[in-house]
Amino acid sequence: MTTKTLKIGYYALLREQRGLSEETVETAATTPEELYTTLKSEHGFSLEANQLKVVINDAFKAWDTPLQPNDNVVFIPPVAGG
Amino acid sequence: MFSISDSALDPQALRDSVRNVAAGGFVAFEGWVRNHNEGKTVARLEYEAYEAVAVSEGNAILADAMERFGLREAKCVHRVGTLELEDMAVWVGVSAAHRGEAFDACRFIIDSVKHRLPIWKKEHYTDGDSGWVNCEHCAHAGLALDHANHHHGTSSAAMPQPTPGPSQEGNSGPAVGENVALAVPNDTPVASTTIHADTCETPLLGGAGGGLNSSNAPITQAGYYARQIHLKEIGQTGQDKLRQARVFVVGAGGLGSPALQYLAAAGIGHLAICEADTLEASNLHRQTLFDAPGVGQPKALLAAERLRALNPFINVVTLTDRITRANAVDLVGNYDVLVDCTDNFETKFLLNDVAVLHKKLLIQSSIYQYEGQLFVYDPHHDGPCVRCLWPEMPKPGCVGSCAEVGVLGAIPGVFGSLQAMEVLKHLLDLPDKLQGDTFFMDLLSLRSYKAKAERNGNCPVCGDSPTITAIVAEDPVELDAADLNGDWSGYAVIDIRDEEEAEGEPVPITFAAHHPANDIRVDALDIDLPEPWLLVCSRGMRSKYLAMALRKAGHEQVYSLRGGTRELVSAK
Repeated sequence: MTTKTLKIGYYALLREQRGLSEETVETAATTPEELYTTLKSEHGFSLEANQLKVVINDAFKAWDTPLQPNDNVVFIPPVAGG
Repeated sequence: MFSISDSALDPQALRDSVRNVAAGGFVAFEGWVRNHNEGKTVARLEYEAYEAVAVSEGNAILADAMERFGLREAKCVHRVGTLELEDMAVWVGVSAAHRGEAFDACRFIIDSVKHRLPIWKKEHYTDGDSGWVNCEHCAHAGLALDHANHHHGTSSAAMPQPTPGPSQEGNSGPAVGENVALAVPNDTPVASTTIHADTCETPLLGGAGGGLNSSNAPITQAGYYARQIHLKEIGQTGQDKLRQARVFVVGAGGLGSPALQYLAAAGIGHLAICEADTLEASNLHRQTLFDAPGVGQPKALLAAERLRALNPFINVVTLTDRITRANAVDLVGNYDVLVDCTDNFETKFLLNDVAVLHKKLLIQSSIYQYEGQLFVYDPHHDGPCVRCLWPEMPKPGCVGSCAEVGVLGAIPGVFGSLQAMEVLKHLLDLPDKLQGDTFFMDLLSLRSYKAKAERNGNCPVCGDSPTITAIVAEDPVELDAADLNGDWSGYAVIDIRDEEEAEGEPVPITFAAHHPANDIRVDALDIDLPEPWLLVCSRGMRSKYLAMALRKAGHEQVYSLRGGTRELVSAK
């Protein structure tokens, strides 16, 4: 199975639950959905993918977008504070 | 101790009841029935209370005051029944070691009683007409069950409006206690839907005439705006655009504080502040529009006072009602720009839908601990709206609020300032406006980025075949007997009157059950009937309050019969 290196960003609640805002991972995931499922079970994130948005290389993308090596992937939970 | 009384109050006896050998000061407040309200001549009043909740809430307020101000004694009695002019409707008395706490506590108690208690006032006018006062506000209820939440920001837990002790509003003059006069200044802000619109087109005079100006030179608009007019992108033309702009800011909290101040100072000609909450001590670390002495006062009015002092050349309008699906379109109708400084999904999604359907520019920000985001919906640009990304509103509570997860004050300070900046960029057509992108910034790492999004053809509000095409108010709580036309079969009709009331006059309706309101525990219901429920009391006040509280607790199909059994009997 081929793996690729991705840069992952976490925002708000996810950043809090992960304990960091950015990391580089080696993954076999082909879509952000697969990637999040893996990360969720690894780090115990409380939110489901359908409660989040994913940004790939500075644009909001669908969860089944194919991941490319060196993609910059950021997971964004909803935020309402003010 | 708080109590409800159906007979005349005796201030001398009440005063004696708060005597305490350790007390060095006593302050009392009396609310009296005055002869006018909103231009109508009042002949007499009727008060009705949802007694069980009023007493438990009233006692909670007194206990809170005892602890907060270190009182020796505190007592409050509210009248129910028919009151004539000059009768006393409410009495509050406190005794404390020193006068300062006594004054503050008395004010705190009467304000809280007005805001929190389910007590309704019916005015009978000399022209024969009559009307319940503030019923609509009370109907926002659910409050007794949730007063831990209802002061935070612009949360969806609506805060009820006051049940006025009659001398609280208007000119009947301050009531006087037996021992120490409690002076209520004439300019005390009053929570109501009053719209204030002050104009100051004349320059403030120097010296004594200006009040705020200690120099001898008058303040002119040219002088006030000199530094920004100097920018070549702005000039006098740009300043004139700002003077004509109409901007509606929802939420005078962490984001609203800087946003409002920079917008006012920049010279936005018509600035509305929509905020229903009163100032709390926990607001001050981030809501720098306010001062510590303002705690307990309506934030919209405090904000307006500050902004009018900051810039006397603009119109500032205050709205102290919570923005809802029922009033949103009317409230924002005359404004071109909506600035979302709220802290809850419900209002954020409502403002988005209003912006799309009524073509308003929307400048939205949200923060979380050390991070924030900024988004602009521009109706004149083919970009996304909030629902293009989030078609469904996230469940409240799926991420924490500022109250739950904490926030450092400077974070909304930064993002509220960014909101003001985006408003100005759009109004002045400055380059590189945020349009379609969402801007994110983490204030710890100082990392920021913009994420692009496209308009979503399947968006429920701005898409190609939208499902949200109007702002529709929620299912109304009150039902009219006339609309039902004698057919009660669709509802489990529940009598919530007391035993004595229910034994009185026969009513043309068959009840499925009798559950006196005072025995109903919203958190431990023993009503064993399928919904929808139609609650009925004598006048429709307690039933409406209870229906709102039950809906808030998750019972969606609960209704109240408008006017109660009296309406049925009189219509017969």
